[in-house]
Amino acid sequence: MYARKKQPWQKRDGGLTARIIISFAVLTILYLIFLSVLVYVGVDFISIAVIASIMILLQWYFSDKIVLWSTGAKVVTREQFPELHDLVERIVARNGLPKPKIAVVNTKIPNAFATGKSRKSSIVAVTTGLMDELETEELEGVIAHELAHIKNRDALVLTLASLFSTAAWYLMQFSFYGGGYRGRDRNSAGGMALIMVVAIVTWFVSFLIIRAISRYREFVADRDGALMTGKPTKLANALLKISGTMKRIPTQDLRQVEGMNAFFIVPALSGDAFASLFSTHPPIQDRIKKLMELEGDMS
Amino acid sequence: MPKNDSDILFSVSSAHITLETKLGLKVSGRCAVTFKTVSGTVFYELEQDLRRFLDTLRPEFDLSYRAVTDRYGYMWIILEGRRIEDLLAGLTAVAGTVEEKGFSDQLLAAVFEFQSERQNGDKQYVIYNFKRNSFYPFVPAGDKSRNTEEEMKIMSAVAEEMPFERDMSLWYPLWDLPLRARG
Repeated sequence: MYARKKQPWQKRDGGLTARIIISFAVLTILYLIFLSVLVYVGVDFISIAVIASIMILLQWYFSDKIVLWSTGAKVVTREQFPELHDLVERIVARNGLPKPKIAVVNTKIPNAFATGKSRKSSIVAVTTGLMDELETEELEGVIAHELAHIKNRDALVLTLASLFSTAAWYLMQFSFYGGGYRGRDRNSAGGMALIMVVAIVTWFVSFLIIRAISRYREFVADRDGALMTGKPTKLANALLKISGTMKRIPTQDLRQVEGMNAFFIVPALSGDAFASLFSTHPPIQDRIKKLMELEGDMS
Repeated sequence: MPKNDSDILFSVSSAHITLETKLGLKVSGRCAVTFKTVSGTVFYELEQDLRRFLDTLRPEFDLSYRAVTDRYGYMWIILEGRRIEDLLAGLTAVAGTVEEKGFSDQLLAAVFEFQSERQNGDKQYVIYNFKRNSFYPFVPAGDKSRNTEEEMKIMSAVAEEMPFERDMSLWYPLWDLPLRARG
């Protein structure tokens, strides 16, 4: 149901990630609105439970198609991208994993993601920008990270998380109304509005929880991916390149800059705290630090 | 010298052990402090005072020094010694003298040189910025480029032990460090 994705840190990659998020967000909102309407018109709770389950199953079943469609990723054959296939095969062979389908998105922005219903039916996707920017061992690190998501069934974990949040919504609605919707209350505009508010609040809280789970799973995927390749620093390098952090390290001499009173300007880092609550990924520095620690442990 | 600079610089005396155990980086025995020169007799007197002071240190501390002015108009006091404690003592004393004479605004940076066992004895540096009171790594890789991978390793190793510059856009390099002994 969820696509696992690695994204550049700056807002410059609106495109790919936004499209995936928007697709699923729109689906989720439509889904919640639909269920709210059913509640409002008095459909009995058994039917709603059945309908909700069917909708979740459908979204799960078509999740990879949704992701491919929303990102414009195309599954590619060995003939089209022989080196990419070789790279993936080396990692899966060495780690006893089933080989996923491989997809490519034609965009300059470096990015990668994995999606899939199960270990056996998964897709790893990379952008042409990623393949251009990274060296082979760095690309290997990124792909191993995505394979780790597949191996750890992160898509399933996150789907379950959203299932629980849906169940929570469901329970909240019914316990709040004392288990019945056949009273006069449901016909009032106030009743309808309340149901909508509860739906939105539940969605928002589960959104934040899912983000937190997501960030934790990113650390795990970094670690497991690095264990697959045995080269944590290569993934760290790839992260630096993708996030554009490397470009921020200056080449201008300190003695030249000092004259310009550069140090009296406090860089605006305060935005980070707010952004981190909503992000699916932990801050790049933390990820690199953990990877370096892993490198230290390995040597 | 304000208490913080001196104390902060002394965090190198434990951090260098971490750098050695985690990254195989050994103190090369060379460090330096640099400050902007000002024309005039007061500054000339400062230089004389520093030389005299460093001469008095010599029997007690295993230290030798050189004074060099670079093309940006910065004076460098380069210290060489076998023990990090002596180097730190000399460094903080020099910076302290500069401050006492009223030139604390001119103090720019202190540089610590390390030798990498794992990278064929390549030189790696930790720079202390007096204006930001924080350290950051610098690993030059020939012709105005940097080895960011090695710099990130240094940050990962010691960022918790010393006040470390978290904003990488402030990791300004010091090219052509005059640390090598000439002649």
